Amino acid sequence: MKIDLDDVANAVLFFAVFIGIWQLVFVLGIWPKVSLPSPYAVAESFAEVILNYTLFTGIGITLGRLVIGFLISIALGTVIGLAMIKFKGFGKTMSSISAGLLSFPSIAWVPFSILLIGFNDAGILFVVIMSSIFSITISTYSSVRNIPPIYIDAARNMGAKGLSLFLHLTIPAATPSLIIGIRQGWSFAWHAIIGAEILMSIVGLGHILSVGREFQDMGLVIASMITIFTIGLLVDRLLLFKLEEKIRSRWGLSSDR
Amino acid sequence: MLYAGDFQLTKLEAKNITKYFQHETHRIKALDGINLKVEDGEFVCIVGPSGCGKSTFLRIVSGLDTTEEGEVIFDGKPVNTTSPERILVFQEGALFPWLTVSDNVEFGLKIAGVPKDERREISSRYLDMMQLTKFANSYTYQLSTGMKQRVAIARALAMDPDVLLMDEPFAALDAQTRDLLLVEMQLIWERTKKTIIFVTHNVAEAVVLGTKVVVFSNRPSVVKKEIVIDYRRPRLVEDQNLAKFQQDVMKELRPEVKAGSKNQS
Ligand SMILES: Nc1ncnc2c1ncn2[C@@H]1O[C@H](COP(=O)(O)OP(=O)(O)OP(=O)(O)O)[C@@H](O)[C@H]1O
Ligand SMILES: [Mg+2]
Repeated sequence: MKIDLDDVANAVLFFAVFIGIWQLVFVLGIWPKVSLPSPYAVAESFAEVILNYTLFTGIGITLGRLVIGFLISIALGTVIGLAMIKFKGFGKTMSSISAGLLSFPSIAWVPFSILLIGFNDAGILFVVIMSSIFSITISTYSSVRNIPPIYIDAARNMGAKGLSLFLHLTIPAATPSLIIGIRQGWSFAWHAIIGAEILMSIVGLGHILSVGREFQDMGLVIASMITIFTIGLLVDRLLLFKLEEKIRSRWGLSSDR
Repeated sequence: MLYAGDFQLTKLEAKNITKYFQHETHRIKALDGINLKVEDGEFVCIVGPSGCGKSTFLRIVSGLDTTEEGEVIFDGKPVNTTSPERILVFQEGALFPWLTVSDNVEFGLKIAGVPKDERREISSRYLDMMQLTKFANSYTYQLSTGMKQRVAIARALAMDPDVLLMDEPFAALDAQTRDLLLVEMQLIWERTKKTIIFVTHNVAEAVVLGTKVVVFSNRPSVVKKEIVIDYRRPRLVEDQNLAKFQQDVMKELRPEVKAGSKNQS
């Protein structure tokens, strides 16, 4: 992987200035210490949760739940999306419903999930799935419908039909736009899991946040926020964005050629 | 004793093919009862004004489009779906951007379950013929339009169909490559005895390639004239003796093109 030194320098400068301003505000004493701790105090909280392993267990549990929930979303969402193509009436209705549910706030699923499933892991998974599945259904539905008909004609002419048409044409032809849906779904799932963990978990990153609030430990709150930010950034930039770029250039869709 | 070559067999027959298209405000009649008999091993070239329905006709013969009236009979049976026995080379190329050039050429073979080694051998043979060996591992967006057309031709030939339907496959080629492929097409045709229906705007090309040239009228199209090109092979474009055939075709085609352009204004 190529790392641009300029980019690194810019990022370092940005964070140096950011921490500098923070320190300045802290020294001016505008907020009491409990509301806004110094950068140093936050670093201490960080060190503490790292050393007693709460942070890493939290990350592990949260990401574990997220991956399971999101994989279920992808599997179910794809099946529903394909069913929407196969059964046109269902497709029309479902695409309106999906559009509505796509903008439905993930937190709003929490009370429903607690009453329906319970105050447990399955309940959290349910929130994650409901929050991300509609990105997948909508993108499956539209990606497949937007495949240029001439590709389908050419493949059929060369003998592809049924399963072979699906495997050798539908999937590859739809991939560049499917990956956009997956990226969006992932970000919804990430929003959802933190929200759900704050309200309905006794472990995980979201739970660390709510512990911080209960004990008025702003250092801990900020430390977990930084962790959440960093993971979100790393997964999107290093994984999903890279994957999307790779697919786009492989499909001849990059603009820079 | 009778030999197959003693009498001609009808490979394909278009009977009264009629096709309408619905546009925003009105219905367009593209084909108005096309009748055409193609014997086994014939090389039929179709010329006609732009928009008269040549591509539509090929799509119907391939089985990709349906007709309102009339039918296509292929090997004695009506066509109602596509078949790898009738391969269409699309005017737009229709190559798959997610596959390399050689994987594009091998697409149909893979679907048919041909083993990998054999596929590679077939694709490299046709890519070599199309002078694209160096680009076997490139992606299609890395090629020029003319190169893409050659990949599309290689992909069709690799399928080894009974009937090749070619929709202006040489339109984007430079003169030198075109001349080369004009010779190559004749060799392929003579060697494989394939039945070919070849659409072109280029009358010289039609006369060089065709055992007969079919002139489509302006839309709504009918077959206006069939002109048999009875001349030795291999034919070269620069052969002066072909000029007479070209004039025969032009005489039929010119009024149709004129009528077409009048309709537009
Ligand atoms: N999918 C379609 N929907 C509506 N109209 C169509 C469609 N395809 C073709 N047509 C119409 O049918 C007529 C014939 O089109 P076609 O593409 O077969 O012409 P062509 O002879 O191949 O022209 P060219 O030489 O320019 O390629 C045109 O008037 C066109 O507008
Ligand atoms: Mg055409």
